[in-house]
Amino acid sequence: MTDTTLHSEPVVTARGLKKRFGGKEILHGLDFDIPAGRIYGLVGHNGAGKTTTLNAMLGLTSYEGTIRVLGEDPFARRAKLMENVAFISDVASLPRFLRVRELFALLSNIHPNFSVDKARDFLSGTDIRPEMKIKTLSKGMMAQLHLAVVMAIDAKLLVLDEPTLGLDITYRKRFYRRLLEDYMTEERTLIITTHQVDEIEFMLSDIMFIRDGDLILHMQMETVNEKFAQLVSNEPETQEAARALGPVYEETRFGQTVFVFDGVARDRLEPLGKVSTPTLSDLFVALMQRPTANPETAR
Amino acid sequence: MKAFSALIHREFIEHRGAFLLGPLLLVAIVVGMTVLAFTVGRVDVRMTGSIVTGLSTMLFWPALVLCVAWGLYLLAVLFFYCADGFAADKRNNSMLFWKSMPVSDFTMLLAKLIAAVTVLPGAVYAIALLSMALMLGTAQIAMIVNGTSAVTNFLDLGAIFWNVGLIALVQLVVSLLWYMPFMALVGAMAVMVGRWAIPLSLLLPSLVATLEWVTLGGLHPFQTRTWDYVSYRSTMPEAGLVDQWIADGPLGVDVHSGVPYALDLIGRLDWLQVGIGVVFALCVLFLASEYRRRAAAN
Repeated sequence: MTDTTLHSEPVVTARGLKKRFGGKEILHGLDFDIPAGRIYGLVGHNGAGKTTTLNAMLGLTSYEGTIRVLGEDPFARRAKLMENVAFISDVASLPRFLRVRELFALLSNIHPNFSVDKARDFLSGTDIRPEMKIKTLSKGMMAQLHLAVVMAIDAKLLVLDEPTLGLDITYRKRFYRRLLEDYMTEERTLIITTHQVDEIEFMLSDIMFIRDGDLILHMQMETVNEKFAQLVSNEPETQEAARALGPVYEETRFGQTVFVFDGVARDRLEPLGKVSTPTLSDLFVALMQRPTANPETAR
Repeated sequence: MKAFSALIHREFIEHRGAFLLGPLLLVAIVVGMTVLAFTVGRVDVRMTGSIVTGLSTMLFWPALVLCVAWGLYLLAVLFFYCADGFAADKRNNSMLFWKSMPVSDFTMLLAKLIAAVTVLPGAVYAIALLSMALMLGTAQIAMIVNGTSAVTNFLDLGAIFWNVGLIALVQLVVSLLWYMPFMALVGAMAVMVGRWAIPLSLLLPSLVATLEWVTLGGLHPFQTRTWDYVSYRSTMPEAGLVDQWIADGPLGVDVHSGVPYALDLIGRLDWLQVGIGVVFALCVLFLASEYRRRAAAN
């Protein structure tokens, strides 16, 4: 399932991307392109290979196959690549022995595209003060500070791996709002992974689902809305008719049966019940069922 | 270069507790105790002043011993810095953050080694000078208080400060150059095994010597070329003037020994071995950086 329209040089290109840990293959030859100016959601179960894929993109791990990020081999040229790539893989990874002002002063010398003024500006509406030691910040403040750091880097690609893990809903919403309002431009590309897919659905332009090291969905959100449909049916007769149309997923919730269809015209579904577009979390549940657990699901 | 300097500055900030704040605290405690000793009459200012007035040159040895003590302190903290600081990014869970910076793993490790032979020992050296100045200053104050202070005493103390300071500086620089390969080896091992580098670095020479004994023969592992070389490379270089100072005794020592000591020490140093050591240090750092580049960062 791939439908990615390319109009310009992709920011990320992967061909036959494989990764083994010991004898076990974690990524089974991924092929994808990520164009510039998009917001990608990378979604999958724990252990599906999301972080490994991101680590390969960021030059943090070796791999088989080919991957190019902004035209560079990330594993061979990580240091050079990081001039134009910013990432948060763990919000708790900020150096805790520093004060906020010391961190900014160091970064202004270490990173050629880091702006202290921008970082201070991003922190202006928060409780974080320059004299504070990072180790004294709460988890939410640490996330805010880390976001301020990466947003103050004039990068072409921003990668966020579970950036809001462990944060409460207020911080999470504020985090994504600032990211969208203050950082994203047409020249920048954002790749984000999270388990709270509903919270980022509004901002995504594209979605990738990874299941057990395979890319099972790679699509623009507009296409997802056109291609997938959700049907809620209450009557046994209409349910049988729905099953005849080949749903990719079926579940009974509170006495109602919910079907998810892939590529079935909505006018064929409307007589059978209430039709809507599945949310990303519904689609995730529908498509990510492991074959061993649910043999009838799509793959 | 700006980024490299910033990385060295980062090391200083992270480890200033052991190399600056801790020693400063120690000096403050000693100063406090000295003031207290004079205040409560434990030390007689009149007597102390009189002794120093007549024999101000005898303070050369205490000043030297003070610097040696700081040198031993530095040796210990540098060893622990190498065994711990090189693995600190992983232990502090900040590896991913530093890897998001446009700096290679080799540059990161090189900055740690350069910090270990420049700013970190430099801070301890500055504290050593400060403590020596305080000690000599206390003697001068004692002379002023008992009214026996003379210009000659002041000049003697100034000469002691300058000469012992120079001796300590040259000894420090030479020792750091001499021991750089050991520091790099301990640091490189720390990248791979973390704090286990502390026992392993002590065990490694014995293992290599034993390997040579097993494969190439010899009376026992401590009579092998490996062990002889390690013994030679682990011996602190020193100038021949030390023997003369000991022979001269505390009162006969020439306080203007700084420049001769420095020239003698520099002349005695095996510069070929220093060069080999620098190349060895860069090689093990490179291997460690390749390990760090490939190791899981999270």
